[in-house]
Amino acid sequence: MTIKAELSRRQMLAAGGAVGAAGLLGGSLPAWAATDVTYWHHFTSQSEFAGLAGIMEDFHAANPEINILQENIPNAEYMAMFTSAVIADSRPDTCMVTSDRLPDMVALGGLVDLTDRINGWDKHQFYSEAAWDGITFDGQIYGIPAFSFVNWMYYRKDWLEEAGLEPPDTFEDFLEAAIAITDPSQGRYGFGLRGGDGGQSMLQDVFDSYGAFDYDGGSIAINVPNAVEALRFYTGLLTEHQVAQPSAAGDSYRQIMEGFRTGQTGMVWHHTGSLAEISDALSPDQFGTALRPSGPAGRIARVSYLYNGIMNPRHADDGWQWIAHWGDVDAAITLLEATGYFPATSEVADDPRITSNPLYEAAVQSLAIGVPLPKIVGLAGWMRTSMLPEFQRVLVGTATPEEAVDAMAQALDREVN
Amino acid sequence: MTDNATRAGLPTTRRFLPRPETWLGHISEHRHWAYFLIVPSILFIFVIILYPTANGIVLSFREMRLTRPDLGTDFVGLRQYADMLSDPVFWVALYNTVKWATAAVLLEFILGFAAALTLNRDLPGMKVIAVLILLPWFLPNVVAGNIWALMLDPRLGVLNDIFVRLGFLSEGMAWLADPDTALWTAVVIEAWHGYPFFALLFLAALKGIPKDHYKAAAVDGAGAIQSFWHITLPAMKMVIAAAVILRVIGLVNSPELLLILTGGGPGNTTQVLSLYAFQTAYLRFDFGYAGALSVVMFIILMAFCILYLRFLRIRD
Repeated sequence: MTIKAELSRRQMLAAGGAVGAAGLLGGSLPAWAATDVTYWHHFTSQSEFAGLAGIMEDFHAANPEINILQENIPNAEYMAMFTSAVIADSRPDTCMVTSDRLPDMVALGGLVDLTDRINGWDKHQFYSEAAWDGITFDGQIYGIPAFSFVNWMYYRKDWLEEAGLEPPDTFEDFLEAAIAITDPSQGRYGFGLRGGDGGQSMLQDVFDSYGAFDYDGGSIAINVPNAVEALRFYTGLLTEHQVAQPSAAGDSYRQIMEGFRTGQTGMVWHHTGSLAEISDALSPDQFGTALRPSGPAGRIARVSYLYNGIMNPRHADDGWQWIAHWGDVDAAITLLEATGYFPATSEVADDPRITSNPLYEAAVQSLAIGVPLPKIVGLAGWMRTSMLPEFQRVLVGTATPEEAVDAMAQALDREVN
Repeated sequence: MTDNATRAGLPTTRRFLPRPETWLGHISEHRHWAYFLIVPSILFIFVIILYPTANGIVLSFREMRLTRPDLGTDFVGLRQYADMLSDPVFWVALYNTVKWATAAVLLEFILGFAAALTLNRDLPGMKVIAVLILLPWFLPNVVAGNIWALMLDPRLGVLNDIFVRLGFLSEGMAWLADPDTALWTAVVIEAWHGYPFFALLFLAALKGIPKDHYKAAAVDGAGAIQSFWHITLPAMKMVIAAAVILRVIGLVNSPELLLILTGGGPGNTTQVLSLYAFQTAYLRFDFGYAGALSVVMFIILMAFCILYLRFLRIRD
């Protein structure tokens, strides 16, 4: 027997009217009537996904009329996807934004100006000036800080204790410690050097520690002698002292993190977000956290924030609800517990769960002296397409530091200034 | 009939409008009818192929840096091409592109042919073996790249572990971080991933060769090598030509595998034109220069196709 569901035009109109009336009536809406808000992010680890799922769950409980549709974009392809979405006008409603990408994203016309909304937001006061500065471009604010990246150092406490050394405070101490704990016969290297994708950011910090960049407003210049000295020191960890793993030129986040987690490297530079992952692999007796060592020109404790912005004005109000939710105490604590990412808002920074953990001490110190990333249009692209390859050339011995810095400076003039 | 229409008060011009079937019938007998028939196809080709291609070529003659609107989008003539001549990364990428495509196609061709000849035998279990042989082709580039990157990891990779246990290496080697091995390692991975393409096409071509030819050749005293040389290869010539051209185009145009495995590094030693164009467009946002790089790739591929087909014709 076949059952046919046929509606006459009158029945169809009546049904449509009933649906419309239901929509106009107050009270809770059925799930299918909720607004979909798309969200692009570049989380990668399981802990990050767990944190995001927790935040989405909290948000949906508080805002059942809004459905968040998250979409993961690999970080390496994020700007390509962002650019394509802007050009093709197929933008998601909301997206993740980092400070180094902000100038390019704004220049592409891909973000909605949120200045008025943020200035009128009751939680505006809980964020530092530095936090707002990282998402401000040409006087306009384009997002809300979601959490902070506090760059610091993880080290093998047990290895340094064996060598009778304290956690290094300067680059000289750092080199001394790396030499002391390196033992290739045991497959141990002092430092997990990141020469693959993402390594350019760490090189940028080393350059700044040597005063190798001169910043002037929105422009940047290389101080060649300082840059050569910085590059010689940093690449010398592999090429001269052999205290970094031989695969450094190709190692990205996953490789340096596995190297540290599996006891092949004794020190590694990353941000607070790796704490949960490292804590799963090593006991508190085996590892510690410290400020990044200082260079001749000072200590660069890079603190940056990850932001959420609105790309598409289509659902701006609902999108705003979503990105503002990340500033709620419960959401920030949910993410902290899942990932170790520090809250960006001071409303939760004094939470006992942070202050009672000694591993977070270095992060709190870094926050006090932290400097944001410079905001210069084209800088992120230059770092990835010129600075990183030249750095790699020195690591693999096909260029000297002088040749590499010369090539970097020429490309900087051509591409950025 | 005219009188009847006039008397009825109908407009007299109506009688001059041909009915559609009459009109079509009239046109279909015209000598230009064939052109009318191909108009939809021409429009389709124009919209889908010619317009984007022409737009890309025009782009290469303009300033188009999305993050520098202050520079405008003016016509800059051949400046992008002149810049290319003095760009050392372009020359490295060009050289690597030739090495990458040539080595990968050769390896894939040999493996694909061997696989096709094997699968063409009527032996038990061949269907299962066919699925296994074709399996790499089903994997997306991203997945294949990540699998191999993990297997070749100097610390955790299973292949390095095997090589160390067998005594070929004293310690895990960073195959993709060494400028001497990075590109060739990527070529091997690409060959593993791409050879089923050749295997599939060659197998189809082999199945199409009548068995009688081989029987007749055997009667005439031809051995296996002579049969292969005088029957199999000539019969497969067109398929081989098409497969090689398609694969070269695919390899030159697709940067995904190298993007995953090396990102063009270390130090641009695995940089190829397609990856360089991609990075120029989507990391530096310089679409004008990326357009010029793409045009060069287009010209190289056109030249290759013409020369290759001409070569085959000369041999014929």
